[in-house]
Amino acid sequence: MEIHVDKDACVGCGLCVKDCPMHVYELQDNVSVAVRPNNCMGCLSCHEICPAQALEHRGIYAARRHYIDVNVCEMLRKVV
Amino acid sequence: MSAGYIDELHEAFHSDLVYRSEEIPLECSPKPKEMEQTLHGVMKLNGLVIRSLEEIAGRGANAVTYRAGKKFGHEVAKYFQKREDVEGALHELSDLLRGQYSFEVWKPEDKETFIIEENGETFIYLVFHDCIVRQTLRRNGLDQGGPLCQTLFGYVVGAIEEITGRKAKLEIVHTGPNACLKKLVLK
Repeated sequence: MEIHVDKDACVGCGLCVKDCPMHVYELQDNVSVAVRPNNCMGCLSCHEICPAQALEHRGIYAARRHYIDVNVCEMLRKVV
Repeated sequence: MSAGYIDELHEAFHSDLVYRSEEIPLECSPKPKEMEQTLHGVMKLNGLVIRSLEEIAGRGANAVTYRAGKKFGHEVAKYFQKREDVEGALHELSDLLRGQYSFEVWKPEDKETFIIEENGETFIYLVFHDCIVRQTLRRNGLDQGGPLCQTLFGYVVGAIEEITGRKAKLEIVHTGPNACLKKLVLK
């Protein structure tokens, strides 16, 4: 597992540090650093919680997504 | 209601198909790809049932859904091979859950074995990747870890108990949008 934190985007809020149960992240000089990437089990709750969208995981298993509503997506496609 | 509409309905539900009672259907009809609307309907309904159950029964909802899941686990695993080793039981379980859930045995890097002994208890970490419960919760905007998750817990515990003959317990360690970490405690 490879975790990349965009240092320019990270605001140093520390939410990923608090949220991760496996203590993958640490704050160093007000920037989040993935110090234990091998402890990451790929839940991606850090992605959901990061206000700056500064995280990137590589080599992760992406779970199936059945919950995307095709009708809503269709409508969005027409609007956007 | 106009007669034209009624005729249209009759037309839609009429075919020349000859159905014999001895004919056993060998595949889903229609094709799974065409079932997307049905799947969303089921997910929506499940979400509403769980939300209502929680509103009425409060924390008791967890006990109800756990019990239901456990009974289902026992029932399904009854027909699977009995195994004494936990590793074999987990293998059987992954076959049992195929298509609905996928999981892997996991350990933090500082642990040497997958079966961990800590504070007088023996446990295994399981990471659930694909999970129909998570899909349903996210489809309905519900929190993870509530009564619907308890059905899965009951299911896993029931199946493990049935396969190994040992008592077990499943605890949530962490929930996420892509995977959830659970702890299978063996007794």
